[in-house]
Amino acid sequence: MTLDDLTRTSGEWLRGTGPESDIVMCSRIRLARNLADFPFTNRGSRTEKSEIEAHFRSAITSAHLDLVYLDVNLLSPLDRQFLVERQIISRELSGSEGPRGVAISPQENAAIMVNEEDHLRIQYMLSGFRLHEVWDAINTLDDQLEENMAFAFNPALGYLTACPTNVGTGIRVGVMLHLPGLVQTKQIDKVFRALQKINLAVRGLYGEGSQAFGDFYQISYQHTLGKSEQELIRMLTDVVPQVLQYERQARQTLVTERRQHLHDQVSRAYGVLKTAQTISSEETMLLLSSVRMGINLGLIDDLSIATVNELFIQTQPAFLQKLRGSELGVEERNVARASYLRSRLANGRMATGD
Amino acid sequence: MICQRCKNNASVHLTQRVGESRQELHLCLACAQKAGLAVPENPPDLALDAVVQSLIVAHVGELVGELADLSCPDCGIKYMEFRAGGRLGCPQDYRVFSRGLLPVLQRVHGATRHVGKSARQRPGAINRLRLRSQLREAILHENYEEAARIRDELRLKDTNA
Repeated sequence: MTLDDLTRTSGEWLRGTGPESDIVMCSRIRLARNLADFPFTNRGSRTEKSEIEAHFRSAITSAHLDLVYLDVNLLSPLDRQFLVERQIISRELSGSEGPRGVAISPQENAAIMVNEEDHLRIQYMLSGFRLHEVWDAINTLDDQLEENMAFAFNPALGYLTACPTNVGTGIRVGVMLHLPGLVQTKQIDKVFRALQKINLAVRGLYGEGSQAFGDFYQISYQHTLGKSEQELIRMLTDVVPQVLQYERQARQTLVTERRQHLHDQVSRAYGVLKTAQTISSEETMLLLSSVRMGINLGLIDDLSIATVNELFIQTQPAFLQKLRGSELGVEERNVARASYLRSRLANGRMATGD
Repeated sequence: MICQRCKNNASVHLTQRVGESRQELHLCLACAQKAGLAVPENPPDLALDAVVQSLIVAHVGELVGELADLSCPDCGIKYMEFRAGGRLGCPQDYRVFSRGLLPVLQRVHGATRHVGKSARQRPGAINRLRLRSQLREAILHENYEEAARIRDELRLKDTNA
């Protein structure tokens, strides 16, 4: 697998399958792990970071894990941005320096960043609301890596991490939700405040500090000390269904009280995406969000959720430039984006390749 | 409750004192913003770095005199550097700086004891961490013979790990 191959496929987490996938785009868990016999990344020398990278690569080979390792140092800025857009690496890993990389599984469910803030940041994603399955998968992966790596751990404080906010389980459990109904009925702030009261964080699609776009929000639990992995997962499996219920009620309100307006909004959005000659990223996100809700409400029937999910990622700047094989300015990207949208929506085809 | 200016649901509730009497105001978000009330449109970003730093300052302020001179023998980080940057230098810092860290952990997580998955114990690891810090020191002082000796020792321990 090379990076160019990735432009022809999409991650499993975009397939729009799995329980509650009309609202839950994907379920995600990450684990922070460090090697016990090295300083944390921010204090590590170049040589030490290279050794960590080598240790990790030999550990995935020994465990026969089906992962492809990409050396981020060797990637162009465009390729790094491409991986950030796909949720495979963080902006921090992309922008830092020194030996570092990421190992990716064939369907992009698993991605392990090396020498990010912690030596290892293991991530696992599945489409739909499937946190228990995600936990089983990432727990196994963690065990397999541990066969050949000594993780920093102490019985009182758990897994030891560079930042004290991650110590303990080192886990972050989260779901990515599409909440256009709550946004349009102006109830979203109320829901956020309620979630924050119970220590759930709300972020945009691209993580910490990034603005929510396309009405996508990540909801995750912040604390890592004093609660077991199962307890944290249960907290989300208890709370998320309530958010889903609010979102469904909001959509129902829109359907019953403003049916014509809603149908008009969805149809116009679809029409613009199918015919525009130049379109910005922001407008695309806004319109795709309406179209996605329209499909789920049965107002559009010739387009799959998987295609729309993919388009959220595949209309981002780096993807378009990889597709064209050259760097593009903002204006050129807007033209390329419109052209790509027209081609994808004209034949309404499904996700290509697996 | 319904907004006093339009028919939407009110989500901003304000009680203000006007002279002797109290006045209640119930508005929807849009009308509240139009009225110039400061209402956050998006949830505030959780800038964790800033949060951690302010917590360190707020909760271990009184210990700073005692902690100021403390540094980790393994990675060399000083407590004050951790205080400034919010990042620790190596796994041993949790032990070295425990007095300064436990109040922060209590505040951040509401707990100071791990519950959940356990890693395997690897007793040799701390030894190797120490050897690596000696290696850095030897290279820093251009003591290459010593550095070579430590590297050999590390290599031996790695194969036995």
